[in-house]
This record gives sequence, structure tokens and C-alpha cells, in this order.
Amino acid sequence: MVRSASKNELLPGTLEMLVLQTLTHGRRHGYGIAQRIQEISDDVLQVEEGSLYPALQRLLVKGWVKAEWGTSDNNRRARYYTLTPAGKKQLGTEAENFNRTIAAIARVMRTV
Amino acid sequence: MSLISFIGQAWRRFIFLLRRRQMDQDLAEEMRQHAALKAQKNIAVGMDPKEAEYAAQRQLGNLTRQREESRQSWGFPFLESIAQDIHYGLRGLRKAPGFTTVAMLTLALGIGSCTAIFSIVYAVLLRPLPYKDSSRMVHVWAVTPLFPEFQMGQSAPDMNDIKTLAHSFAATTFYAPRRKILTGNGEPEQLSVAEVNSDFFAFFDVHPVQGRVLLSDDEQKKNGDVALLSYRLWQRRFSGDPSIVGRQIMLDQKPYTVAGVAPAGFAYPEKSDAWVPLVIAGEAKTLRTHWAYFLLAKLRPGVPLKSVQSELDGIAASIAQQHPKEASGIKFPLATLQESAVGKGKAELLALLVAVGFLLLIACANVSNLVLSRGLKRQREIAVRAALGASRGRIVRQLLMESLLLAFAGGLAGIALAAQGVGAFRALAPAAFPRLEELKVEPATALIACLITAFAGVLCGLAPALSTSRANLNLALKEKTATAPARRFSLRSFLVITEVAMALVLLTGSALMVQSMARLLKVDTGLRVDNVHSALLNLPRGRYASEDASRLFAQRLLDSLRAQPQFSSVALSSSTVMQGGTSLLVLERETLAALGIKAETLNLESRSVSPGFFETMGVRLVRGRFFNDRDVKGALQVIILNDSAARRLFPGQDPIGRTIKLGTEAADQFQIIGQVADTLDVSLQGRPQLQVYAPLLQSESVGQNFLNILVRASSEPSVAVASLRRAVAAVDKDLPLTKVQSMVHAVSETVAQPRFRAWLLSAFAFTGLSLTLIGIYGVISYSVGQRTQEMGIRMALGAPQASVLRLILREGVVLAVAGAACGLIGSFLLMRLLASQLYAIKPSDPLTLTGAALLMVIVALAGAYMPARRAMKVDPMIALRYE
Repeated sequence: MVRSASKNELLPGTLEMLVLQTLTHGRRHGYGIAQRIQEISDDVLQVEEGSLYPALQRLLVKGWVKAEWGTSDNNRRARYYTLTPAGKKQLGTEAENFNRTIAAIARVMRTV
Repeated sequence: MSLISFIGQAWRRFIFLLRRRQMDQDLAEEMRQHAALKAQKNIAVGMDPKEAEYAAQRQLGNLTRQREESRQSWGFPFLESIAQDIHYGLRGLRKAPGFTTVAMLTLALGIGSCTAIFSIVYAVLLRPLPYKDSSRMVHVWAVTPLFPEFQMGQSAPDMNDIKTLAHSFAATTFYAPRRKILTGNGEPEQLSVAEVNSDFFAFFDVHPVQGRVLLSDDEQKKNGDVALLSYRLWQRRFSGDPSIVGRQIMLDQKPYTVAGVAPAGFAYPEKSDAWVPLVIAGEAKTLRTHWAYFLLAKLRPGVPLKSVQSELDGIAASIAQQHPKEASGIKFPLATLQESAVGKGKAELLALLVAVGFLLLIACANVSNLVLSRGLKRQREIAVRAALGASRGRIVRQLLMESLLLAFAGGLAGIALAAQGVGAFRALAPAAFPRLEELKVEPATALIACLITAFAGVLCGLAPALSTSRANLNLALKEKTATAPARRFSLRSFLVITEVAMALVLLTGSALMVQSMARLLKVDTGLRVDNVHSALLNLPRGRYASEDASRLFAQRLLDSLRAQPQFSSVALSSSTVMQGGTSLLVLERETLAALGIKAETLNLESRSVSPGFFETMGVRLVRGRFFNDRDVKGALQVIILNDSAARRLFPGQDPIGRTIKLGTEAADQFQIIGQVADTLDVSLQGRPQLQVYAPLLQSESVGQNFLNILVRASSEPSVAVASLRRAVAAVDKDLPLTKVQSMVHAVSETVAQPRFRAWLLSAFAFTGLSLTLIGIYGVISYSVGQRTQEMGIRMALGAPQASVLRLILREGVVLAVAGAACGLIGSFLLMRLLASQLYAIKPSDPLTLTGAALLMVIVALAGAYMPARRAMKVDPMIALRYE
């Protein structure tokens, strides 16, 4: 499913975590989520729409995010995603796992 | 994943599925917005608006596909794709109606016949009897060297010895089957009544639905004569009268008080209508040669049958030692109740099982072949799918689904067919066939048959999918008719050869049985039975208690029958003709020694007959005279011998006028007055026995069991039967006639079992033959399709049509001959199993084998001819255009 990474391959399953992370401080629409990930990662992580929308649908099905139509700052109709309590919990465990993995990798990179 | 979140997820999937259209619209709009935002951003960095929009679209890529992929998250994609497979599968099957019909028919026939026969085998051989602990119930038979071929009941003293000496039995009981006439309350009727001892109902754990069962008090007649009715008799004859208990019924003109009604379904032994107490009285108590009581025993749990048998062997040996005169050489063989109930049906059913197994294999081969051919035809279609991106798994799954659909449809049709077949079996099977009433289609057997065929179909359906997905798509995409030369012995050829071989085995089996039947029916019995009618008459002992009374009755009946103008001759016999009845007369050593014959014993079949018997049955007189009306009680005691008996007892001499002692009393001297031709009057099979005839009106026990009335009529059968009934009613209107039938019918009934077998095997052989025809047709058609171009080229180069026809036919002949050769070897090996069931024909009869093989080859040719004609008609221009 990780078709996205033209610049940088995402680890499998990371996209969902990143999406959840971008939603921690409030609702965003799909475009906003992609922009946000790109911005924060200094354009290292480019999220392609081809993987973003399937990922969002999966999150919906799992009940980690909710979607509702709203109006954007410049008065456009947009579909906003918000984090559900279950999503928040999921993000917690995923972040923890991720950090552990990264730390482990970093240790290997330092010593070997 | 916890259960709750799993359920939550499933629920959301379900909701999304229901709101699919809304979701889809939302997604589409969302992505449009996304594109617009992207375009806006492009404008912001200074792009021309038009250019910005294009760039956004480029960056976004294929929106349709992205929506497609997003959608996969909703609902149940796996289930949905299966639904899709089913849909495609159905469409594929609909688009090939010929293939679908033939494959379904094949499956239905294979599954149907297999299910039917397996159900029958299960019902008859395997399903436990419907009694508690029935697996531990055994019959204890007696076999004496006097009648080595009969399993008999026990004598009362032997039975007592067994009961006291044997330790392996938890319980025993015994009974004696009888026939009694029920009168009053409608037409007189002959009932099957079992005399049983008081443990009988406890033994079977049977509790009455009305009243009580029989008790030991009843044996001592403390309550007078009592009877327990079967549920069926109660319903049928007394319309389930709730006040039946305590009422009186008349059995053999004697009043019995109804003690109770047995539960529905209990009718042991056989189909009993009623049970009465068994009283052993008089000399029966001590006589060791009165083998009249059927002993049942329940083994102690865990005791193996073998050890019980050896215990009984020991008891038999000690009884034989103590009573050498009456019991020397006696044996007590055990048979489980199930075996006793099934008896001879077993061998027959096992032969059927083999036959139907073959049929199922033929069906499997056929379906495999059809699916295989179709798969090869579809290789291009599969290649196109693969080229368009279908995964191998998906293609395999779809082909699998098609095969499964086919198996499912065929299975349904097969089960319907099996239900019909079981019904037909019940209707056509000989009445003596055991446990017919319990017959029904077994769901488990249907399932197994379906699974076997489905497995074959699936396996073959997968082969092309796997090979295509492995093969070079490029090659498959090009119509490569001319490229791949057909291998001479492909899997398909092998399947057809197997099919031919197995069909041939079925065919030889059925041909042997049919011929054996035909020969059997043509046997010269020494009797002339056309226009002869037969009926049985039971004399109730109550009314005809004394010897004189029954003799007088027989004389009056004879007079009454003779008075009917339609009958050219009439007769009575003490035992049935062609319906299994005969009595045995054992000549002892002294008698034989007086005749100068050195032998221990000699068995004669004996029959007491009235004057007119030989005339009525058309038995030829060799010398001397027939019986006449002066051969009565008090006159000179006379007998007639048949040829075999005369030759055995008086070799090379004229027996007429000689006397012979038949019996122990001094008065048992009989003069031989006639010699008649040998007859087969019990069964068409076997050789004529030594026979002796005595005058009925001279014998001491006229109609002790029953009388067989025989009349030769010049009129229509129905008229003859009506006058027969009238003549009997004129003497005693309370006597029921049973088994009223023409002798021709009676004779054909004696071969009911082998005829039924022949009929079934022929049905199987015919089915097998048809399936093989289809199989060969399929394979040759396929090969013709593959070689269309080759044919075109041949014809364009000047080959005559006939040579093309020959070319294709040769292919069919090669398969047929190879199959027939294997089939002949198989028949040769397997037909020995049938040997015991064949009459006057050897299992390896060369004419039958070659005939069947020839028929098989002709059928194969017929199957190959239709596609061959198509090949012949190929237009070279059209065929070559494909190149």
C-alpha cells in the first residue's frame, strides 16, 4: 500500500500513524493532512493522494477517525476528519512502538 | 484485536456498505476539492490557471483508480469478490449451455446413483437395528448333520441346556413364528403371529402404548388366552380403538383377550401383527429333535462374539456326547441380529456397491474430461484476464467457483435423482429384501458423493488455470492452433480409456446377469404351468381339529373345485409349488439296507398331493399310474417316485409294485404304484432332487399347515380366480385365500432376486455406456477443434473427405480399443465375484466378453463420428484464414 514514497519510502503502516498524529490538534481535511505531513517533514515525506484516501477509509472503518462536512477558512465546503478517543489511544500505542523501533535501529546504527 | 472492536469494525463496515452510494459521492467530492486546492496552490506559485489544473490532475494521478482502492476498505471485499466470482461463474456456465448440461447430467447420474446405492447399503447393512443394545443381540441357531443346509430353531431341552451352561449371556428369550387367521370384524385375514415367552418384551425393552405386555402368568393361562397387538394391526383393523384392551378377538376360531398394544415400529420378528404367549407342552418339552424355538440372546457387555461361539461349541459338544442318538454332530452357530435380518442380501449389496463405485468413477472421469477440455478452450480467455492484471489467485478462485457451482447444481440434481432411485428400489425390490421399510436417502452419503465428484471437477478445473498462469501469456494470446501438436496420450486420453474400461466391466456384468436370467427362465422344469392358478389356504385348528374333519374338508373342497366348469383339472398339495415349500423325508440306514443300498441316510423331498396333481401340473408319467380317488385312508398305502428317486432306490429295476418302509412303525409300508418325470418344483436353479409323492387323502395330517390349491383353467385369469374363490367359499366362507396368483407369475417370482440384480446392473451399465459416449464425444470434439487448421490444409492439398473422417475416427478407435483391452482384463478378474449368482453361464463366457467389447467399440465410434463429420465438413478456406 505504500505507493506514496517517491522521495522517501514510508515504513509499512506508518502513514496511518502520521495521519492520526496530524489530527491531534484538531480537525483537518485530506488536502490539509497531506500538506501538514509534507510541511513538518520539510518536504521529505510526500504523501500521495493514491495512498492517502485508502488510508483514510481504513481509519474510518476501524473507527479511529470521524469524517464530517464543514466549511473551510476560505468558505469552501470540505470534509473534515477528527480523531476519536479510540484513535487517540491507537496513536499512543503506535507512537510508542514506533519510538521503540526507531531507538533500536538507532542503537544498531551507532554501534555496528 | 479485542472482540468488541472487532464487532464495532464489522458493524461500521456493514453501515458503510449500506450507505455505499453516499460514501462514494462523499469521496468523489472530497477528491475534487483536493484537486481544486492543489490547483489553487499551483496558481499561487505563479502558474497559468489552465496549466495549474492540469498539473494538479497529473499529480493526483488516476482518480478513478484511487477511488476504487479507497472503496476496498468499506464493506467486505473478500465476500464481495466471491459474490462476483459466483456471478461470473454463473455467466460462464450460461454461456456454454452444452457443456453445462452434459456436465450437470453426468454429475447428477454419478452422484444420484451412488447416493441411492450407498443409502441402501447403509440402511440395510450398517444402520443399527432400532432396538436398545441391538449390537449385542444374537440369534443362537441349531444346525444338525441331518439338514446341514438349514439353520433351525432350538429344541426345548437344548435351549434349557444352553441357558444354564452359557455364562456369556446377559439375557435370553425365544419365540416361534406362526400364522393365524383373524375372523370377525370384517374379512377373514391371515396374520403373522409370534408366540413369545414372557421375557420377550423386556429383552427388546418394549413398553406398550395401551394395556400391558405379556407376562409369565399368561404362559400358565391364568388370564385365559391373551394377545398383544401390533400398533399397525390396531390402527388398520381396529382403527386405533382406545378401548381395545380387554376386548376379545378371534384367532384361528379361538377367543383371545387383548392385553395391550405394542408401540409403533415394533414388529419383531419380521412383520408381526400380534404376539401370544408361547407354551411348550407335552412331548415338545423333552424332544431333542423338535427344533422349533428361535433363541435370542443378549451378550454381556464387552464379551467378544468369538469367545461366545467357542463357549457354545463346547456346550454343543457335551450335548452331542450325552445324547448321541438325537443330537450327534449338532452345532449352535451364532449370528448377530443384524446379520440374521440381512441374510443373503449382503453379497448382493456388496456387488452393487462395486458396480456403483465404478459408475461414480466413470462420472468423475467424465466431468474431469469435460472441465479439462473446456479449460483448454478457455486458455486464451484466461490469458487475456492475466494480461489485464488479474492475479493468479483470482483466476484460480474464479475457475474453482465455476467448478463448485457445477458440483453444487449436479449434486442437487443427483440428490433428487437418488430420492427417485430409492423410491424405485423400494417399489421394485423383491418383497423378501430385508429392512426395506427403513430405506431413505442418507444426507451423509449424498454429501460424500458430491465431495468426490466436486473434488475431481475442481482438480481438473484448476489444471488449465495453473498451466496458463505459468505459461507464456504471449503464446497463449496468439491463437496457437497449429503450434502445439496434440500429445498422443494426454491426461484426457487416459481418462477416456479408464472410462471405457470401467463401462465395459459394468457391461459384461450386466450381460452375464441378463443371459443367466434368460437361461434360467428357459429351464425345462418338467411342469407345464401356463393357465395354472394357485392359491394358499390355511385351516384354522380350532375348526378343523381332528384328522377326520380336515380330511373331510379336503375332500369336499376337491369336489367343489371339480364342480366348476372352467377348470379342466384341479388338485391340492400339502406344500407349495414353486413358492419355496417342500418337506424332507429322511430314509434311515435300516430302510436303505433293506433295499440293498449302503448309506447312512438319504434325503427325499416329499409332497402329499391329491388326485389330479400330475395332470394339473403337466408332469409326465413314466410308468405305472397316477393317484386316483380310491387312494384314501384305509386303502392300500401307495406312493409315486420321480425318475431320480426310482433310479437311486431301485437302480436298473422296475420299481412298480415294490414296497418300501417309510417310517418307524411296522404299518409304514408303502407300495410304489407310479414313476413320474423329474421336476424342478421349488426353484429353477439346481438339479432335480429325489422326490416321493404320497396321496393327500391318505396322509395323517391333511392341511396341517396349509393347502395349496392348483387349478388348470381354460378361462380368463380373472374369471378363473373368481370361480376359485367361489368354490372355496362354498365349503367354508370364513377361510381367507392368500397368494392367489398364476403359476407363471409364481415361477417368475422365484427369480425375483436375480432379476432385480440383473435389472439394476443393466441400469448401471446403460448409464456407464451413455457417460462413456459423452466422454468420447467430448475428447474427439476437442481434438477436432484443435486440428481444424490441419484438416483444412490436408483438404486444400487434396485429401478426400473420407480420409479426414478416417483420421478422426481412428483416434476414437484407438482410445476405445485401448480401453476395451483394459476392460476385458478387468472383467476377467472381477466377474469371478459374480460366479455364485450366475446360472448356466461362465463368468468368462467368451461370447459375452467379446460381444460387450464390440458394443463398447461401436459406442465409441458413434461418439467419435459426430465430431468427425464436423471435421469432414470443414471448409478449407475458412480453416486456413486463421493462419
